[in-house]
Amino acid sequence: MNIDSNLNKLLKIVEKPARYIGGEFNSVKKNLEKVKTRFGFAFPDTYEIGMSFLGLQILYGVLNREDDIYCERIFAPALDMEAEMRKSGLPLFTLESKTPIKDLDIVGFTLQYEMSYTNILNMLDLGGIPLTKQERGEDYPIIVAGGPCAFNPEPLADIFDIVVIGDGEELIVTLCKKHAEWKKSGKNKEELYKELCHIEGIYIPSFYEPEYNPDGTIKNIKKLYKEAPDSIKKAIISNIDDAFFPENAIVPFIEVIHDRSVVETFRGCTRGCRFCQAGMIYRPVRERSKETIETLAKKMLENSGHEELSLLSLSTSDYSQFEELATSLMKMCKEHNVSLSLPSLRLDSFSFKVLQEIQGYKKSGLTFAPEAGSQRLRNVVNKNITEENIYSSIEQALELGWSNLKLYFMVGLPTETLDDLDGIVEIAKNVVDLNYKINGRKGGRFNVTISVSSFVPKAHTPFQWHGQDTAKEFRKKHMHLKDKFKSIRGVTFAYHRTDTTILEAVFARGDRNVTKPLIEAFKLGCSFDGWSEHFNNDLWLKAFEMTGTDVNFYASRERNYDEILPWDHIDSGVLKEFLIKENEKAKVETLTDDCRLGCVDCGVSKRVKCEMGGSHA
Amino acid sequence: MHRYIIRFSKLGYIKYISHLDLMRLFKRTFKRMGIKLEYSQGYNPHPKMGLAQPLSLGYESSGEILEFETVNNINDENIIKTFNMAMPEGIKIIEFKEIKAEGKSLAAITEFAEYRIKLPFKDTMNQGIEVMNFINQSEIISQKLNKKKELIDLDIKSMIKELAINKKEDELIIFAKLDAGSVSNLSPELLIKAIGDYYQIEYDRSEVEITREAITFTKKLQF
Ligand code: SF4
Repeated sequence: MNIDSNLNKLLKIVEKPARYIGGEFNSVKKNLEKVKTRFGFAFPDTYEIGMSFLGLQILYGVLNREDDIYCERIFAPALDMEAEMRKSGLPLFTLESKTPIKDLDIVGFTLQYEMSYTNILNMLDLGGIPLTKQERGEDYPIIVAGGPCAFNPEPLADIFDIVVIGDGEELIVTLCKKHAEWKKSGKNKEELYKELCHIEGIYIPSFYEPEYNPDGTIKNIKKLYKEAPDSIKKAIISNIDDAFFPENAIVPFIEVIHDRSVVETFRGCTRGCRFCQAGMIYRPVRERSKETIETLAKKMLENSGHEELSLLSLSTSDYSQFEELATSLMKMCKEHNVSLSLPSLRLDSFSFKVLQEIQGYKKSGLTFAPEAGSQRLRNVVNKNITEENIYSSIEQALELGWSNLKLYFMVGLPTETLDDLDGIVEIAKNVVDLNYKINGRKGGRFNVTISVSSFVPKAHTPFQWHGQDTAKEFRKKHMHLKDKFKSIRGVTFAYHRTDTTILEAVFARGDRNVTKPLIEAFKLGCSFDGWSEHFNNDLWLKAFEMTGTDVNFYASRERNYDEILPWDHIDSGVLKEFLIKENEKAKVETLTDDCRLGCVDCGVSKRVKCEMGGSHA
Repeated sequence: MHRYIIRFSKLGYIKYISHLDLMRLFKRTFKRMGIKLEYSQGYNPHPKMGLAQPLSLGYESSGEILEFETVNNINDENIIKTFNMAMPEGIKIIEFKEIKAEGKSLAAITEFAEYRIKLPFKDTMNQGIEVMNFINQSEIISQKLNKKKELIDLDIKSMIKELAINKKEDELIIFAKLDAGSVSNLSPELLIKAIGDYYQIEYDRSEVEITREAITFTKKLQF
């Protein structure tokens, strides 16, 4: 079948056909005859979301730098396109060469959020690739996964042949090169995996098999290949200043979520918020030098023609030379007639100066993330800001003319009571009062949004043992807040739906037994679960029921420290003892310092030197 | 201030990017090439750049025309080559020309657009198609939606400047020169509808291929 003529017909019918055409500036065309390993980078969501993701551009660039490797892109087609593809029998294809994905050597999925898991299954299915590795056997591409959710790969262990843990940009090249050698040798897949499993960061799920206790908890994790490592250490790039960075990023034709040049300033975070998975699994902090960042920014803008530059890290202001960097980038952007956007700034006086300059009269909204409503609870989660910090920033913001404020909180944090929730209301009230104080009795045009998300305990964090609130408890808390906010003028109260929160918890801490309901849900028609307009909770409930899965076992059950957790053999570099210590400190409402003030012994320095540890002591 | 026009083709998959996407693409290409565009005055300045006529999504073209104004002189002997290196696959600059800075915009002097249309059909009724019958009608009736979203009949004959229909085994190859621009404008879709209705042929819109081949103006541009 000719994909081109078939595809051409579909593209005339579907919405935003340019999502499916490839050929963007800086996208790569290679001679298919000359490459040895064909890799498909699969993003389990739409083009617009995937193309806003820096990790894609990094891996695409680093792989295509190699002559022997060809990396192409694969996205989840939107529902209209999927329907047309299924109707006309057009299999899922790569954007670059329009090759059916089942003809590639390797298909690699990035796991950015749990709610994209059904999309992975759907994409395999659309590509005519059986979902489980047992069904695939020696045929079909090797299916790989990486990204933050890969730190608990167990819910997808039967789907993926190889899981990449940790920094991917060097590991993925090694993997492809090994693959090319193996392909020439004519050996079976198992032989390849046996070789790969000794490389740091590579996990072969089929070499391990959990055995369960009668109560469903894990008794032990049996190794099926005795040479395989007992625990899988994440891959760490010790020096990101020298690491590859995509100066020639692909410039999409259509508008995507973030249509701009982005430079990663550092990886990791030293703050140690106890709920934050990224803050644990990306340790230690590794910075790019200011000079490198500036050079990259300049090149990226020149090579893309973008109108906007942004920085990426877990906490922009924590960059050690942030003031110098911001000042020089502002100057550069002005010269190039490009706007600068700095996300997640800590709102101190310097940030306000910067924001004043880059936003000028077009002030966008300002966001604050106190996370919890009371000092007590902020101590529990180790969010080291005080009420004074919050109010003085807000006061400054109001004085400087910002009128649209957004405050983020979480509901369902460990030890939370209704008093803590009332603290959120209290903060909102005080913000409104501050506005009256500063902008007069009428208050001017002013709105504060209080946005609460629901807490999902994640693997590899100090709260990994915590029993999540049940749907009922969440609803009660939401109603409590909603009720209190009714009477406060100028406040918009927003909260997330509860059912997806519970699902997220199931897959964030699930074991291999949650694969069945996942496949069942997909078969029942679930996909794009992260999009509220597509999410269908009834189908999910049915899938759990049909497979006899107890949601509470995974979501709301409190684990004890002795229990073997499904991801215990995945080593993030942070010690379990550290996580336990942090969880205990949470219970007694005690803070742990930012480790730039002094190492707090999380364990990762046993693997690699911590440049930032104790840097501000 | 310098004013230029370029003629370019838009062929292959890139036909699926919209007019606005194409404008953004040109803007970014100019930026990559280090070309500074002139901007309009006012509260919301926009670059002085525009197509003679927007091209519908899904149409190919072998003769689009873009005009733009730059701060500096960019005319050098390699300019077409430089442009083509900076362009993504599917867009090819064919001609480049400096024009007089003053004068109306190209959009204002656009008069006709020429299209080549491939219309596959199944001659199910085996009625045979006499192409001249259609062309020689005293009125050519098509239908369009009016403001109230009702289908109304419309005689499009006066808006067709030239028309040739070539019958192949299972497709019609149509060449049409149609009114274009602000005074009178006929979309090729209406012509296709009229032909389809007249011969009562079955066709699938997703199989119709349309290529714009040229745009002509009320004043002669030195191409
Ligand atoms: S080892 Fe110490 S300095 Fe390094 S990340 Fe852990 S706590 Fe911070």
